[in-house]
Amino acid sequence: MGTLILRRLLYSIPVLLVASFLMFWMVRTTFDPTARLRVSRDPTVIEEERERLGLNDSIFTQYRVWLGDFIRGDWGESSRTGQPVSEVIPQAFGNTIQLIVWGVLVSALIAIGIGVYSALKQYSAGDYVFTGLTYVGISMPPFWFALIAIHFLAVAPQDWFDLSSPPLKFVGLHSVGSSGFNWDYLQHLILPVLTLSVQLMASWTRYQRSSTLDVLSSDYIRTARAKGVPRGRVIVRHAMRNSLIPLVTVIAVDASLLFGGLIITETIFSIPGMGRLFFQSLLQGDVVVLEAWMLVVAIFILLFNLLADLMYGFLDPRIRVQ
Amino acid sequence: MRRQRRGVKLLALVLGLSLVAAACGDDDDEGAADETEEAVPQGGDLVLGAEQEPECADWMGSCGGSSWGFWTMGANTMPRAFDIVQEGDQWVYTPSPLLEGEPELVTEPEMVTTYHISEDAVWSDETPITCADFVYTWDQVANGEEIYDRTGFRNIGSVDCPDSKTVVVTYAEPYAGWKSNFGGQYGIFPAHILEGQDRNAAMADGYDWSGGPWLIDEWTRGEQIVLVPNENYWGTVPSLDSVTFRFITDSAAEFEAFSGGEVLGIFPQPQLETVDAVSSGIDGATVDVQAQSPSIEALWLNNAAPPFDSRAVRQAFAYALDRDAIVERLFGGLDVTEAMQSFNAPLLGDFGDPEAFAGYVQDLDMVDQLMEGDGWTKGADGIWEKDGQRASASFKTTAGNARRELTQDIVIEQAAEAGFELSVDNEEAGDLFGTQLPEGSFQMALYAQVLTSLDPSVCALFCSENIPSEANQFAGQNWTRTNIPEADPSLAETDSNPVEDERSDAMADADALLAEDATSIPLDPLPNILILSDQVVGEVINNPVLGPFFNMEGWGLS
Repeated sequence: MGTLILRRLLYSIPVLLVASFLMFWMVRTTFDPTARLRVSRDPTVIEEERERLGLNDSIFTQYRVWLGDFIRGDWGESSRTGQPVSEVIPQAFGNTIQLIVWGVLVSALIAIGIGVYSALKQYSAGDYVFTGLTYVGISMPPFWFALIAIHFLAVAPQDWFDLSSPPLKFVGLHSVGSSGFNWDYLQHLILPVLTLSVQLMASWTRYQRSSTLDVLSSDYIRTARAKGVPRGRVIVRHAMRNSLIPLVTVIAVDASLLFGGLIITETIFSIPGMGRLFFQSLLQGDVVVLEAWMLVVAIFILLFNLLADLMYGFLDPRIRVQ
Repeated sequence: MRRQRRGVKLLALVLGLSLVAAACGDDDDEGAADETEEAVPQGGDLVLGAEQEPECADWMGSCGGSSWGFWTMGANTMPRAFDIVQEGDQWVYTPSPLLEGEPELVTEPEMVTTYHISEDAVWSDETPITCADFVYTWDQVANGEEIYDRTGFRNIGSVDCPDSKTVVVTYAEPYAGWKSNFGGQYGIFPAHILEGQDRNAAMADGYDWSGGPWLIDEWTRGEQIVLVPNENYWGTVPSLDSVTFRFITDSAAEFEAFSGGEVLGIFPQPQLETVDAVSSGIDGATVDVQAQSPSIEALWLNNAAPPFDSRAVRQAFAYALDRDAIVERLFGGLDVTEAMQSFNAPLLGDFGDPEAFAGYVQDLDMVDQLMEGDGWTKGADGIWEKDGQRASASFKTTAGNARRELTQDIVIEQAAEAGFELSVDNEEAGDLFGTQLPEGSFQMALYAQVLTSLDPSVCALFCSENIPSEANQFAGQNWTRTNIPEADPSLAETDSNPVEDERSDAMADADALLAEDATSIPLDPLPNILILSDQVVGEVINNPVLGPFFNMEGWGLS
């Protein structure tokens, strides 16, 4: 297993270098970091800024300098706020990871449960209901679902039940004056997690259902049943474990994409995470943040792919042996 | 203009981000927040929504130009020489509690202003506010690095201190907007705290001192700003225990946050869904629509690019549009129905000639006459042509803004009827304002100019010397490439003559020339909308410059 990890990490380095250079090149050619200074009435300001950022050097030199600084922990300062990027990104990351952990956990547990049930009860009324719901979930635009959820699960119940405050909160991760893991935090977490989970659950349920059906029709399952192994044990010990293998890969890939993909959820629920940071930086042309953000997200995508491989090996001994 | 409504609200979420509030009920003028006579309760924590987060809190720094930064923190913590109040239909400067009275102004032989600082005025650490603070502020703005805008401060020749509470400002060049120098959005900075420090670094993330009624208690980036009372403020100390501004950048979520009581006040941009919601009535709230806004939204024409490089074409285009109909469609729900008729923001009232463009009403015969007089003929498809060139133009605005996209649709339809072919070519705000407008890579654009003081600074926008070019690295804000040499002296005088009547007359002269040239086409006033819960008690003033939160020391919670 150690060799596998080492080999995959070594493979990742050139991938990361190529990806980071392409992203760096695209950002530098798409955005002009000095554009915000063009309204200045002092014509020397732009040239001074270009010099400071090394924009007069070749793209390769710029990349080498930037990568060296990044590795040394000098990620530069946001041109928008002046804050060190090495502080901005971890703060945003901390908020996003909370959504991802809860969202993936909830989605995976529900998707596995429903997927296995639908496979075991194939073509039953329950299977049809869940199949229909998954298609609704997959086709539901997150921003629309989020606003619907806010209205019907938070604002409207306040009127219906004459409550002094909404039962679920939807501005940030805590109320004013509150912090830590408490009931207020959970009240704030439910709607954004629900929003990001609805599509994940829907698509993962489909994967789990079809994967379970495949496994259930395997020879070794028939053999186990023929040898008199109880049905429950066959499902839990033999079928489910193997049926999880494809889903684990999907979960790992989807989860890694969430690091930068929660723009809508974070914006609607006023959560200052990675998605919102990316969106704001993009709109403001904050090149320094964008470059570091892309590299950090790329690293996490690679790490989660590695994690998927490790999980694959954990679930399937044949892969471990190979 | 003020409107207050109460009614039964039904907020319905429809396709996309639309938020429509359908309502019925009466128009009742008894908003609790407007009851100035009502006793203000002590204590309580007020939570308000903020649509945007400031980039930094160094108000004079290049990152400090955010309106929301000034409205939430700057206006409540920085002492300033002047407040802005409404007298009749006019917004005017009035000496703030920082001063003993109206400063003395002498214009001959040189322009000198003398301020007398209140003996009671102190910083939150009880250090008196003195002339040294004025000197420091002037020095930083005039000579500091990465300053947002040095306009006005560069005209100052010296700031002298006959005594600690007297400030004598001598101008090397006359400056008409002198009241905005120490009474504008920068305010006065504390020399005893900042002298010798990197000002930007010390203030960027907020500061723990104040010369106003509130102190910044906390600024959690991306989440909220918390203000608490400055107990050493020499004026009215706030009644509330705290005010928190939560950043809610999505307008639909912002309305829901207000409906659900997560915030008790919002100050949304006048987007379509906002207008719909307000016009339908909002339950338990005071809605204040301020049409005398600091904003003027216009169709800005590139006077240096075809087809609008021809004055006749620009004039014809102005006659092609029914601007009142456009404004009615956009803001009729707020009772704002008339188009702007000059480039002076509505808050300036009758400054200059507010009716300069009134002659441009939709008149298709006049369009034909002007275009044919300029050698254009209509093609088979009804579009004007001249020497193989069609009267067509790209039409830019900020992408994703539904109200502006609707404006584009109406303008395009009206223009097509008159023989002009417009095509939408929208851009991200950063590209539009950072690159394309300064470089002149546009033919027509829809956006707003926003005043941050009562001084119009028109020369920056229209004087020919401020046309951006490669030579000046596209510095200067005359993005429309307006080049009317005979208007330049009047525009310059508007910015320099401290005699109010004379500068207004100079502006009127310039307005007439700008209208005659149809350099661009003023459209709408972009009204300010404030929505406050009836739980908020105290005098509400939707101040177009200082913002709606500048007098929160007089607010309480019922």
